[in-house]
Amino acid sequence: MQPRQNYLGAGGWVWAGKYKLERYLYLLHRITGLGLLLFGVIHLIITTFYRYRGEGVWESAMSALSNPAFRVGEYLVAAAFVFHALNGLRLILQEFGFGLGRPVPPIYPYKDALRKKRRWAIAMIAVVAVLALVLLGDFIAGGP
Amino acid sequence: MTESSTKQIAFKVQRYDPEQGDAPHWQQFAVPSSRGMTVLEGLIYIKENLDSTLAFRTSCRMGICGSCGMLINNYPHLACHTQIEEFHSNTLTVRPLPNLSIIKDLVVDLTPMFNNHKSIKPYILRQDAQEMENPTAEFAQIPQELNDFLQFAYCIKCGICVAACPTSASDRLFLGPQALAQCYRYCADGRDEGQQERFSLVDTDHGIWRCHLAGACSEACPKGVDPALAIQLLKRRLASQALGLRKKQQPSSVVSPPAETKPKIPFPEFTVKGSE
Amino acid sequence: MRATRFHLLHMITGVLIAVLLGIHMVRLHLDSILDWFGVDTTDSTSWESMIARASEGIWAALYIALLAVALYHALYGLRGIILELTPSVKAGRIITWSFIMIGIGAFGWGTYVPLHLLSS
Repeated sequence: MQPRQNYLGAGGWVWAGKYKLERYLYLLHRITGLGLLLFGVIHLIITTFYRYRGEGVWESAMSALSNPAFRVGEYLVAAAFVFHALNGLRLILQEFGFGLGRPVPPIYPYKDALRKKRRWAIAMIAVVAVLALVLLGDFIAGGP
Repeated sequence: MTESSTKQIAFKVQRYDPEQGDAPHWQQFAVPSSRGMTVLEGLIYIKENLDSTLAFRTSCRMGICGSCGMLINNYPHLACHTQIEEFHSNTLTVRPLPNLSIIKDLVVDLTPMFNNHKSIKPYILRQDAQEMENPTAEFAQIPQELNDFLQFAYCIKCGICVAACPTSASDRLFLGPQALAQCYRYCADGRDEGQQERFSLVDTDHGIWRCHLAGACSEACPKGVDPALAIQLLKRRLASQALGLRKKQQPSSVVSPPAETKPKIPFPEFTVKGSE
Repeated sequence: MRATRFHLLHMITGVLIAVLLGIHMVRLHLDSILDWFGVDTTDSTSWESMIARASEGIWAALYIALLAVALYHALYGLRGIILELTPSVKAGRIITWSFIMIGIGAFGWGTYVPLHLLSS
């Protein structure tokens, strides 16, 4: 009798229980990464094909993109980039064990290294929030 | 001394019987629970009084054998280590661990996890094969060296970290946090010389670099083993090797037991004279 | 050590993107900050501004470098996500090779356009 498959699949990335901060930072890092990739592809197509075809096509494309809906999208891309960059820097440091401390024999109640050093992750999020607000200010104040 | 009051707690248990052929479904049981009662005791009550066909693994009932890992209220716990009262709720949902195949009811197939564990060679490897197979003496190790990996040696192979890991959820070929943490435990052990061999086992497309530091494994681990820390330290070793920064570490030397023992402390005088 | 080297490159390109893309975004969008620095902030997305930038060697070099690192970082990340959903090793190899092809193709096309405009 074959045992029944019980994998969560990609749903397990999104929700599998009441986990804490780092699990959801991982999810947000993935989502912003995919969002930035999608934007990058579109951006690459516009700046190459449309530029290639000459000034008229370029200018009409730019004016079409000045639509407020696109401006909101641009702001989201900027905020996503800020988050992904700073979380990425945190990941680079922590994935090589910097700022995680030494192994200690476990004494109940257990506190794993990520939780002990969580204040660094919180500090990073605070910096991201501040930068996102600065970008928001610039976006609301207008632009090209 | 007041009598501890009993409350009726509803246990919603996921049932699945492969011989019946139907899909997994819920079954509800009313369990009288009192202060200090664990979820495992609730399941044993169900099995003894309400439905003896309920299948689950249990052995030590004190959080050291690793048999009773289950998803309780959507979070992986050891059932013997989890009190019913800590959820402050009249309903408990009990499901088998995810990311491992279900054999029946709450029993999951841990074989893939054990196979991954075996594949990273979880034993001391020495260059001197003769000494390894037929040891003549001990390997020297001081307590400071032991502290470098002792935390990761406490793993009870319960499978909760594998159930918590988002990569294990989607990637069937992923080694899993348990195997990777044990790989570090052996690489960091001063007595071991098999680091290069193990590196080639984890440095693959579905190996250590598919870990993205979600930290759920360490968060859920019931013994505080912190597999996430072990995996990141292993990544550090791999990266310093790739960059050529690794210092050659001397493995533990082989020490014969001392030829002379210390002089024995004299046996103390009896304080109570026997009747002779 | 191959997978480790690819992953280290992923991290290095991540840091480089943070720098280069930061420069790109500040130049193009953050008018208030640029005004403070005294940079000419006429409409950056207009044709003239873009051609002026494309003619300068330093901007062309920046864009080509940004394209290279961004393509590597993005495609390696996407390949990782897709490999996590692929249970077969053979399919994994096919996926890796197709990503390499896509990356080289996109880099070739993305570099050809500014260089073509630079020379014309």
